[in-house]
This record gives sequence, C-alpha cells and structure tokens, in this order.
Amino acid sequence: MEKYLDVLSALILFSSFVLVANKRIISYIRTFQLQACLIALTAGIMGVDSFLAEGKYDILVVCLIIIILKVYYIPRLLHKTYASVEYKVEKDFFLNIPILIFFCCFLVLFAYFAVPTIGRAAEGNVNIQVINSFSLVLIGFFFMISRKKAIGQIVGFLVIENGIFITAMFSTHGMPFIVDVGVFIDLITAVLIMGIMVTRINDQFETIDINQLKNLRG
Amino acid sequence: MGLILWLAPLAFVFASRVLSSRNKLHRISMAVSGLLLLSSGMITRSVIQDGALSYPAFGGLFYIDAVSVIVLDIVALIGFLVSVYSVGYLEQEFKEGKITPKKIKLYYTLMYSFMFAMILALTVSNMGILWIAIEATTLASTFLVGFYGDKHAVEAAWKYVIICSVGIAIALMGIIFLHLSSVNVIEIGNALNWKALLDHAQDLNTPILRLAFIFIVIGFGTKAGLAPMHTWLPDAHSQAPSPISALLSGVLLNSAMYAIVRTLSIVNKNLGDGIFAGRVMIGFGLLSVLTAAVFILTQKDYKRLLAYSSIEHMGIIAIALGIFTPLSVFAGLFHMINHSMTKSMLFMASGNILQKYGTREISKIKGLFSRLPLTGTAFLLGLFAISGTPPFSVFASEFSVLASIFKAGSLWLGGSLIGLLALVFAGISVTLLKIFSPQGKGLVQEDPGLESINKEIKGEINKPGVAVLIFLLVLITLMGFYMPEGLSALIVNAQRIITGG
Repeated sequence: MEKYLDVLSALILFSSFVLVANKRIISYIRTFQLQACLIALTAGIMGVDSFLAEGKYDILVVCLIIIILKVYYIPRLLHKTYASVEYKVEKDFFLNIPILIFFCCFLVLFAYFAVPTIGRAAEGNVNIQVINSFSLVLIGFFFMISRKKAIGQIVGFLVIENGIFITAMFSTHGMPFIVDVGVFIDLITAVLIMGIMVTRINDQFETIDINQLKNLRG
Repeated sequence: MGLILWLAPLAFVFASRVLSSRNKLHRISMAVSGLLLLSSGMITRSVIQDGALSYPAFGGLFYIDAVSVIVLDIVALIGFLVSVYSVGYLEQEFKEGKITPKKIKLYYTLMYSFMFAMILALTVSNMGILWIAIEATTLASTFLVGFYGDKHAVEAAWKYVIICSVGIAIALMGIIFLHLSSVNVIEIGNALNWKALLDHAQDLNTPILRLAFIFIVIGFGTKAGLAPMHTWLPDAHSQAPSPISALLSGVLLNSAMYAIVRTLSIVNKNLGDGIFAGRVMIGFGLLSVLTAAVFILTQKDYKRLLAYSSIEHMGIIAIALGIFTPLSVFAGLFHMINHSMTKSMLFMASGNILQKYGTREISKIKGLFSRLPLTGTAFLLGLFAISGTPPFSVFASEFSVLASIFKAGSLWLGGSLIGLLALVFAGISVTLLKIFSPQGKGLVQEDPGLESINKEIKGEINKPGVAVLIFLLVLITLMGFYMPEGLSALIVNAQRIITGG
C-alpha cells in the first residue's frame, strides 16, 4: 500500500506544478479539481486499508466528504463566481512561468532537506509522502503571492488547505474525525464568503485585480 | 449552566433571522448578552470555589478552568456592554440612512455568531475544535468588517479574510504537528485534548513539538495581531462599525492569545524551561511594540491609531507570557483584562465621535469637549489610561510586567520596552491630543464644509452608549487602585495552571 501512496503523493505534488503553470483561471479551477480527485483517491485507499485492518470507517466518510465538497461543490462554486465577474484580461502572474516553476523546484528541494531534520527523531511516518505534502503547502503559499486576481488567491488558499490535509493524512492517518468534519465546515464557509467578497470587490473596483486594493495604508 | 453559553447565542442567531421588528431585536440582544454575562458570572464563582468545570457529555469536550474563565468573562462583559452600545449606534446609523433594517438584522446575526464562536473557543478542551472555533470567528466577522460595503470596507474585509484564513491555516499545520508529537503517547480518544497533552507533556516528541509551537505562534499570532502578521488589523479595526471594533480588539485578540497560552504551557513543560518559547514570544512581542510605536507617531486616523495601540498591547502581553515567571504570567493576564476594558471603551467613544463629526481624520476634529462633553472626557482619560499613565489599571499591569522583566534579569529587554512605551505615549500625545483643543482656532473656521457640521446641536447622540463609557471608565479607574479578592485569586489560579507550579 505504501507504494501506491508514494506514487499518489508524487502525483499530487505534480498537479500543483501544473497549477502553477496554468495561465487561465478556468484551467486552474480544473487543475484544482484534479488535485482534489487525487486526494480523494488517497483518502479512499487509506480508508479501505483502515477499514479492513481495524474496522474503522472514519477515513472512508472523510473521503466521501472530499468527493462531494472538493471535487464537485467547490469547483462549481468557483466557476459560478468566475462567471459572475466580468473581466477579460487573462494574464494573471507577476513572473513568467519558467521562473515560477524554477521557484517551485527550489521549494520542493527545501522541503526535501528541511522535513527530514525534524523527522529524524520522530516516531511517526515522516518520509517521502510528508516531504511531498509539505512541498504542496509551500507551493500553495507561493501560488498565492504569484497571482494577482482574487480567484487565484482563493485557489491558492485551497491548495494550502489540501496540503495541510494531506500532511495530516500521511503523518498521523488524519486528525480526530470530529476535527476533520469541523475543518470541512469552516472550509466550505470560507470559500462561500470569499466568493461573495470577490463579487463585492468586482462591484466596487470594477476589477478583481487585488493590486488595485491599495486605499488603506500606514 | 455552561450549556447556556453555547445555546443562548446560537438560539439568537436563528431567532434574529425570523424577527423583523428592530425594537424586538435590540431588546432580545440585550437580554441574551445579559444572560451570557450572568451565566459566565456564575461559572466564575464555581470555578473559584471548586476548580475546573467540566461535563461528561460529548466526551468531556466542555471544559472551563481559571485560564479560560478569565477570557470568557472578558467576552461576556464586553459583549454585554457592546450590545447595549449597539442599540444607540445602530439607531443613529438608521436615522441617517446609512443602513437599512435588513442590515440591522444581519448585524445581529453575525455579531452573535461571532460571540458564539469565541465562547466555543474558550470552553472546549480539544485543540482541534479550538482551531475550528477561531477560524469561525474570522468567517463570522468578515461581513461585519465589510459592513458598510464601500471601497475601503470591502478592501479591509478581503484582507481580513485572506490574511487571517491563511494565517490560521498555518496554525492548523502546527496543531497537526502537535498531534504528531503525541502519537503513541496519548490514546486516540483523547487526541489533541490539551489537558491530556499537558499531563503527558514530558513524553511528547520534543523536536516536533518545537516545530508545532512555532507554527502555532505564527498562526494564532496572525489572529492576535502580533507583528509582522498584523497587517490586517489596522484596516479591519478602522473600517468595522465601532462596536465591532470594540469586540475585535477587546475580545477576539484575547481569544487568539488564549490559544497560544495553552500551547505555551505544554511546550515549556516539555522542554523543562522557558528559554526557547520565551525567545519566540519575546521576539514577536518586541517587534509588535516597535511596529506599533512607529506607526502611532505618524497616524492621521484615530481609529487606526487605536488599532495600532492594540498591536502594542498584544506585544506587551506576548512579552509577559514569554518571560514565563509566575509574576510575569500574572501581570500578562491582568494586562489582558485591563487592555480589553480600556480599548473597548476607547473604540466605543470613537464611535460616538465618528457619528458626530462624520470623519475619521484627526485633523478635522476640534473642540471635542464642547461638542461631546462626556464622550470627550472618557476619550481623553481613556487615552491617558491606554498609554500607561497612573492611576489607571493599565498602568498597574504594565508596571508589573516591567517589574517582572527586571526581576527575571533581562535589563536590555526591560529598558528597551520602557523606551518604546515612552515613544508610544509621545506618539499618542502628539497626534491625538489636538482634537481636544478648543474650537474656533486653526483650520476649522476656514473650512466651509466643516462649518456646516459645526452648526449641529451640541450634546451626546447615543445616551446608553455614554452610560457604557462611564461604567467602563469607573471600572478601569477603580481597578488601578484596588483588585477584588476574587479576581486576584482567579488570576493566581490561572497563573498556576499555565506555569504548572
């Protein structure tokens, strides 16, 4: 099973590279959806494993929630938000894509050397999976600062959340069930609120370029 | 008794969607927050007498001890005063046509969701649920920050929701590491229960715990307004309606700090000394005080100035907790109480000023004493109090914080903190004291726009609001001289829980 999980963690990391390389908002919503599918698959494998081994179905329920929430509902919500804001210019990054990818490689390298230093003394599973998932968190942060449009920031936030969730899955086989459910409730509310905020920003500023939000300073 | 704390605000959240009459909303809101105050008072009494309060339901999820009761009392008291103040504030905004009845409804729904989330954060024993509740406070208050819906408010709300959500996501990472450090130590049913973590602190995995602590301080520190993660705070505090600013500053920051305190005691018990955690906390704290001092000096907007002053005081509390001697933790908790009372009073006073003058700019306000005699007095005395002038309570606690720093032998830290506090005092005097100068001098007469505002009738607009201000003013003055027996016993209890001795 560990081999499948290794491969999946690498694929999830790869999907975040694809995300960074995406140019259009539509395509990063789709890539996010793909990433969510991979995460649901990971949770599914771990869920089946823990069900067969210990008879617990917590992780399977979590997997189901991920499919409903992250694979179906949140991308739909983002598409809707995107459709409601009128803006045509698609270019949405400060640096060009090769440089962004180069930075991402650097982040993965950083995680590769940084994570084992804490893991050496650890009893839990700190291994290649955690390195990959931790890199995903870092790339999420990087994605957020590299995009100018508000929807890009929401996707970045979701990637960070994916990374944290998958780190928890790989290192400790998930948080306690009630905490996981609470985190999902917060996540869905956060995305709803951010979606509404995007429409408001569009109403007030007639763009969703967050570089225009510069009135409050000092 | 404890469940009232959860059920009352939740019930009102739903009721406020159904009720349509403004009067009813106002009255029930005051009743609900009065009930919260009453039940938290009774819980306080039982905690002082019998120690921690817990119910077997939900697997012991509901848990209150002396540390949480202190913050809980602040939430209940400020919540009650804010709900009284809100009535006059909202009615005036309604009269001026700035908001519709529908918005008043939304205001109450969100305000009580916000209160519920904060109470939940303070009454659970599970770090995971604590995180969920703190994230929920962000979500509930986003639209309160963007309440007026103009450009500035939307910008502030967007920054608030993004910076705080991402910040708090870092704290979630920290909580996962905390969980990881306790694998094989704590049984699954008790996972993330901070009481179990504290009991087994010595057995936790030290390197991972350290990492967890740093993530948690950065994450919850974002919410508590520690520099350099504070950038959302001045925007949100200045753009939110004034009663909400009072809640944000007086209550929310403390709830976030509470989460840090819980982790701090686990980490220090595990490491056996306070050096590592102390360095982190003191570093962030000192940077916060420094940032605040610099920005206060150049401030043109009085609500922003008050917001920066909140950053300063959170910095002082962080330093006091970082020193981690019994005296400094006591002083830090006492300072937390005093700062909340004083700062919420100032924000509510600033709301009265804003409604009277219609501007946030310091330079456009003159003659506060003649136009708003009571608010003006409260504001002036409050400013002296917040900048640490005797005889007010903030002075008493700042003094004990400094005393504890010197007693712990950190002369450099104490010296630089005194210097920065003096700078803050100078900043507040230079920028804000102008607004008390008598009318008819300087720029005011030359400005025709202001002349028309000046013709308005003298006197206070928000009468119950002024009563709230005077109550708080009396409270902070009295607490500068005299600390009730029960309060000091409670803080000592809390300090023992935190320092473990």
